Amino acid sequence: MLVASLLVASFVIFAALYLAPGNPIAALSGGRTLPPSSIAVLEARYHLNEPFLAQYWYWLKNALHGNLGISITLRENVSTLIASRIWTTAGLVLYASLIIVALGIGLGILSGLRPGAFDTSTLVTTAVSAAIPAFVAAIVLILVFAVKLGWFPALGNGTDFLSNVRHFTLPAVALAISSLAIVARVTRASVREEGRREHVQTAVSRGIPGRQLIQRHVLRNAAIPITTVTGITIASLIAVAAVVEVAFSLNGLGAYLVLSAQSKDLAVVQGISLVLVTAFVVVNVIVDVLYAVLDPRVALGSRAQ
Amino acid sequence: MGARRRIAAVTATVAVCALLAAACGRSANSAGSSATGNISPTKGLVTDTQAGTKTVPSVTWAVYRDVNSLDPIYAFDYPENTADSLMCESLLRQAPDGALQPGLASVATPSPTTMVFTLRPGVKFWDGHPVTPADVVYSLDRNTDPKLGGFYSLVFNRVKSIAATSSTQVTITLKQPDYWLQGELASVPGIIIEKAFAQKQGKNYGTPAGSIMCTGAYMFKSWNPGVGVIAVRNPHYWNSSVHPLVDQITIKGVPDISSFTSGMLTGGIQGSYYFALSTLNQLKSSSAVKVWQGPGWSTDAFIVSSFKGVLGSLKVRQALSLALNRQGIINSVYKGAALMPRWLSNPGTFGYGKSVFTAAYDGSPVLTQNITEAKKLVQQAGATGKTFTIGTSSQLANISAVTGDYQAAAQAIGLKVVLKSVSAQNYINFFIDPKARAGIDGFLTVNYGDYADPAALLSTLVLPGGSQNYTNFNNPQITAALEQARSTANLNKRAALVAKAEKLTMQQMPWIPNVQPTSLLLLSKGLTGAVASFAYMFAPWADGLGGSG
Repeated sequence: MLVASLLVASFVIFAALYLAPGNPIAALSGGRTLPPSSIAVLEARYHLNEPFLAQYWYWLKNALHGNLGISITLRENVSTLIASRIWTTAGLVLYASLIIVALGIGLGILSGLRPGAFDTSTLVTTAVSAAIPAFVAAIVLILVFAVKLGWFPALGNGTDFLSNVRHFTLPAVALAISSLAIVARVTRASVREEGRREHVQTAVSRGIPGRQLIQRHVLRNAAIPITTVTGITIASLIAVAAVVEVAFSLNGLGAYLVLSAQSKDLAVVQGISLVLVTAFVVVNVIVDVLYAVLDPRVALGSRAQ
Repeated sequence: MGARRRIAAVTATVAVCALLAAACGRSANSAGSSATGNISPTKGLVTDTQAGTKTVPSVTWAVYRDVNSLDPIYAFDYPENTADSLMCESLLRQAPDGALQPGLASVATPSPTTMVFTLRPGVKFWDGHPVTPADVVYSLDRNTDPKLGGFYSLVFNRVKSIAATSSTQVTITLKQPDYWLQGELASVPGIIIEKAFAQKQGKNYGTPAGSIMCTGAYMFKSWNPGVGVIAVRNPHYWNSSVHPLVDQITIKGVPDISSFTSGMLTGGIQGSYYFALSTLNQLKSSSAVKVWQGPGWSTDAFIVSSFKGVLGSLKVRQALSLALNRQGIINSVYKGAALMPRWLSNPGTFGYGKSVFTAAYDGSPVLTQNITEAKKLVQQAGATGKTFTIGTSSQLANISAVTGDYQAAAQAIGLKVVLKSVSAQNYINFFIDPKARAGIDGFLTVNYGDYADPAALLSTLVLPGGSQNYTNFNNPQITAALEQARSTANLNKRAALVAKAEKLTMQQMPWIPNVQPTSLLLLSKGLTGAVASFAYMFAPWADGLGGSG
């Protein structure tokens, strides 16, 4: 499935970028009028003078040999360029995912189990924060925690693990905030729903202690929808990361993808897209595996009902 | 001929503005009052800041996007120029005030078609190898090598030969006299690199995979794309009168203005030559940042790209210019960091013959707004109610803001405007693709030449065959004055000829100048000593940078 997804995605993206207006040579020369001989040299170097399918075939052939090509703007191997950025995006998404899982699911369970003031305030907070786009969150966080309070740096990556954590905290929160709210709300709803189910009521009437009841009967059953929504949100973070990376001037893949698409740096766009598609597929596979773990009725390879 | 266009790569981040900058909107009366009425070419502007006295461990210097290449033959925009001019040096040098000085070599002109460059004693590369005439010939020849596709080949179109003529001399023989070439050789096309090193690097020279070898006070250390280009102090700099004070300078691309602003405010960024800054007033009022304005060499202008429509009428072009609210542009787009124009070229470019230029400039009228007069001209031209089309991009905040000012101006004098908006990355096509220009009458630009001479920009748009002469504009008097200037050795005489061409150009308005941006220098508190004029684009700017005492 991964291979098929990658092949289709690479072809569609290549075609879309090929058809999009703009000219990589123009991006390369900054719009200066180049002598025709120089243009010919550049076009031959990057195979820009060949027909579409030939260009795609050329790229595919190299990609299958592990060569993702050369960036037109930087004249550097795409794999090197991706390698230097991938950990920023991976770290950011991982950090945000941890926040979503810990806070989102935690809040959801707590407010699902304890109706009252806490539940109401969670509902209100999550309703508001679900509507906050990542770039707005980024601006507010920078303004409050970097500019006014000076607790966290406003931009850039760190140098070692600890300073990376410091540098990534605001971006990760900005990235997580709206997904966190959605996960919390779905968790709360499904915990509530499971709590009202007949077998839980029966268990309550049989006097099964609270902790065991919640762990075995409520959470286990609520886990399937929670896993689904968490998986989808985390996979989507990979795409949203671009916005946050720009706002915090992080050297991540998302920001680089946007930049490369604008300058029609085809090889880079292809390379990053492959990484993103792979990550997306992998996250989904993990979710599928989790289904099977959580609910033995779900066999691997088939879908949960 | 050496002039280039720049699109201020500023994406429209409305929400960012609203929160980070107090005065971000397009209210014509918003801040920036300090520049009101400031029309003198130099009033309140500084070319240099007081040299630093203390060593500084590290400075992060922001540019508006990541550096793409460190090879000078591909340096065509702010980030590449800023990085190259930090570390590399040219054959001649432009002083912060634009004056031409000896650089790695001094120049003599034994005849109008011969230039002899004599290398200064002791000039050496970072690796200790002396700069030789062979390095000079190699570096200059790379510009015109068709296999390399460098961006500056046109600069050398009057050169017959470049040859090493002694162990310390290089002689350039010209087909025709060309005194503009010296300006170019004091700029990016004149940067000298080490031949043996560059040949060994081959294709990798100046890429992230490779390295570079120059002569400057700061030397290349590493380049991690997306993070930055790192330069460190050169302890063996050949010029013993210069003592670089910063251990490490990182040139970092920060495309997002709000990210840049918070970086400056929190000290994550310590310096920059950022331009067209919507958050300028916020930065000015911060105690963490100090802002200088220096002479700029760029012009914000409306390019009339077709004379076929209503803009083919001189009266209509004059009327449009008269109707434009330039003070509004200075206040709202530039936040005060621009001057009212009298000529097409920025008065910051008066790098020679200053008294001649200044006298001629001060004698020229300021382009102030006069709607009544403008309306009359439109009526005289019989153009009332007619339509013209502006090519624009709603993704480029400044371009689209000034487009709005043109719409307002046209409306006020009875003309109609149609907009043809393209994406930010396709805006460049207006400059290079005749098909993209088809059907539009004009578009906006911020444009500058490679060296401090009004002719550097002017020649590209008024001379027949000029790289930005889209209307085949040809005025024999202007052409004659500029051609003569190019062959005139005497600086004051040359200045008089260029001034004449500028004045004649204003009578013809092939382009309409909007405002003359000044060059902005922003430094963290406690830092000082960077060049404050636009010369930073073409000559070392951090030789004096350091901590203030």
